[in-house]
Amino acid sequence: MKIENTKAQMRKGVLEFCILSVLKDEDAYVAEILDTLKDAKLLVVEGTIYPLLTRLKNVGLLNYRWEESTSGPPRKYYGLTETGKLFLKELDTTWTELQNAVNIVTKQKNPSK
Amino acid sequence: MNKTVNINLAGTFFHIDEDAYLKLQRYLEAIKRSFTDSQGRTEILADIEARIAELFNERVQNDKQVIRLKEVDDVISIMGQPEDYLVDDEIFEDEEPHATFQRKTTTSKKLFRDTENSYIGGVASGLGHYFGIDTIWIRLVWILLIFGMGTGILLYILLWILVPEAKTTAEKIMMTGEPVTISNIEKKIKDGFETVSETVTGVAKNVSESVSNAAKNVDFKKQGNSIKSTSKNFFDTIADIIMFFFKVFAKFIGIILIIVGASALIALIIGWFSVGIANVLHIPGIEFLNVANAGNTPIWFASLLVFLAFGIPFFFLFYLGLKILINNLKSIGSIAKFTLLGLWLFAIIGLSVIGIREASEHAFNESYIEKTGLNVTKTDTLNIKMLGNDNYRDDYYRGNNFKLAYNDQGKKVIYASDIEIIVKPTTDSIATIAIEKSADGRDYEKARERAKNINYKFEIKNKTLVLDSYFTTNPENKFIDQELNITLYLPIGCVVNFNNNTKDFLNFDTYDDNIVASRHANHYLKIAEDSVLCDDCTEDEFEVDIDTPNVNINENGIEIKSGNNNLKIDENGIKAESKKVKVNMDANGINIKSEK
Repeated sequence: MKIENTKAQMRKGVLEFCILSVLKDEDAYVAEILDTLKDAKLLVVEGTIYPLLTRLKNVGLLNYRWEESTSGPPRKYYGLTETGKLFLKELDTTWTELQNAVNIVTKQKNPSK
Repeated sequence: MNKTVNINLAGTFFHIDEDAYLKLQRYLEAIKRSFTDSQGRTEILADIEARIAELFNERVQNDKQVIRLKEVDDVISIMGQPEDYLVDDEIFEDEEPHATFQRKTTTSKKLFRDTENSYIGGVASGLGHYFGIDTIWIRLVWILLIFGMGTGILLYILLWILVPEAKTTAEKIMMTGEPVTISNIEKKIKDGFETVSETVTGVAKNVSESVSNAAKNVDFKKQGNSIKSTSKNFFDTIADIIMFFFKVFAKFIGIILIIVGASALIALIIGWFSVGIANVLHIPGIEFLNVANAGNTPIWFASLLVFLAFGIPFFFLFYLGLKILINNLKSIGSIAKFTLLGLWLFAIIGLSVIGIREASEHAFNESYIEKTGLNVTKTDTLNIKMLGNDNYRDDYYRGNNFKLAYNDQGKKVIYASDIEIIVKPTTDSIATIAIEKSADGRDYEKARERAKNINYKFEIKNKTLVLDSYFTTNPENKFIDQELNITLYLPIGCVVNFNNNTKDFLNFDTYDDNIVASRHANHYLKIAEDSVLCDDCTEDEFEVDIDTPNVNINENGIEIKSGNNNLKIDENGIKAESKKVKVNMDANGINIKSEK
């Protein structure tokens, strides 16, 4: 089993949650979302995000609008839909629970403390 | 020095080195293949192209700067390899139940044309890869099919048009059915830049890697399956088997559709060529069609319409069959489809119009009567016979069809023999012959004109009436139900003898207005008030023929069977048999046999 694969799997699992979180407060275009995610070292390559965005849009969690750009062609600004907001809320709760659970488990497994 | 290409990426203009362009193109192509249409392929690709354009823009200081291989490599390393684009389908499983299935089909073998190993279009070698047979066998089948009415040529051309050529590495791998993973394809593309020996070792390594990976996966799956309940496993297997049979059945239907479609098309094409083209080139022998063609529609046009009306549905059948058989068949395109549909509708409408025009030619049936007195009185004996013509035919049968021939003057005429002879008694002192010519036409005048244009001759000589066994008309008049009725009004008391060759032109039986039937031919008949008296008719004219499983009565004798009893009367004598008693009467006497 390759360590890279497991890492990628872990990252992919939370990616969806993170994309929705980035858009929680304000709409953003793809490069902005990418910058946030890359700064947080959540994304190694950008390619992953495009099919995810399209699919999140197709299931109705996201929508987008076109906006003129000063430095090039118009940009796609993504934002959360009402369902997207509810979805994010639920994921948020799940994440907190998961975080606690992982914390408890990892601390238990570590006998140094 | 490097050649550059101009590209439009998401609405932005770039100069790009040719090698960099090729690499970018392959990259986008590989990404395109990792998505299906239902995943929103076009949209995803548009987004990706827009992002790449953005990244290029960051790297280009002014309009004159060229994108080189380095920039493309940079962008690819930022964007990631094609497999990085894959999203775990499980996340979206409830929305996209087909996703896993579609991924499976993309890894299966597909039919492409192998232009690298081709003689003509690479169809045979492509088929060879697809069926896993050596190409030579496929080529042999082609050659055999070419002898089979040229089926092979037509099929080859259709496959040539419809089956896409294996252009990209991904397609070539899919064509040969090697284990296909996206990384495999990508590796192959990269290898293309390296030396051949490296390519070979790389591929070998790749293959061995993916094989061992697959083996691992299988092991993993097996363990998982053993934990699963056995019942689910069982039903999965059943489902697999049913799917397999369903696929086989579908392919079978596909093959049948192809065969039906292709053979019908070939038959139609041959038919159309022989009728349509022959007509355009005025090849003789086709002209008789023109004569029956009352609506004056050009034959080549009508035959083209027929060809389209029947050929297009068969073409679609053929296409459907190919589509069932070949997963990645190139679409003929909606323009072609709608054009064909339009042509088909046009042909159907055209044929209906022709049909109506043709039918309207039969709207009126008019006749034209010529009466002539004959020098035959009630004391005379009149002989009547038919006369054929060497130019047309020498038999004496009545028929409602027509033929084309040349008359004595060498002119082309239509001749037909729809002639009927009716005999009526009259109290007049001499006989009269009435020739009633009739034909169909669009209106009264046309029909009457056409009826008038029928040429018919008869002659009376020495109390013998000689009637032509045919009539003729100019081909311009067309053949539209032209008929001829000859009514003979004969004085009561005269004797008439119909020659044997009139038999077919006389009615089958007598009726109120007709006193002579075909059975009266070759007899001397005396005309009475409402019938004929036959002087030399014998009773043997009366014929009975009964043939059932138990009763058989004919000129040979009588045979009756009933259970175990049997009675037989014939020229040998009388034979009666019951279960236990047999009686035999013949020239030798009576013989009775009894079991007890």
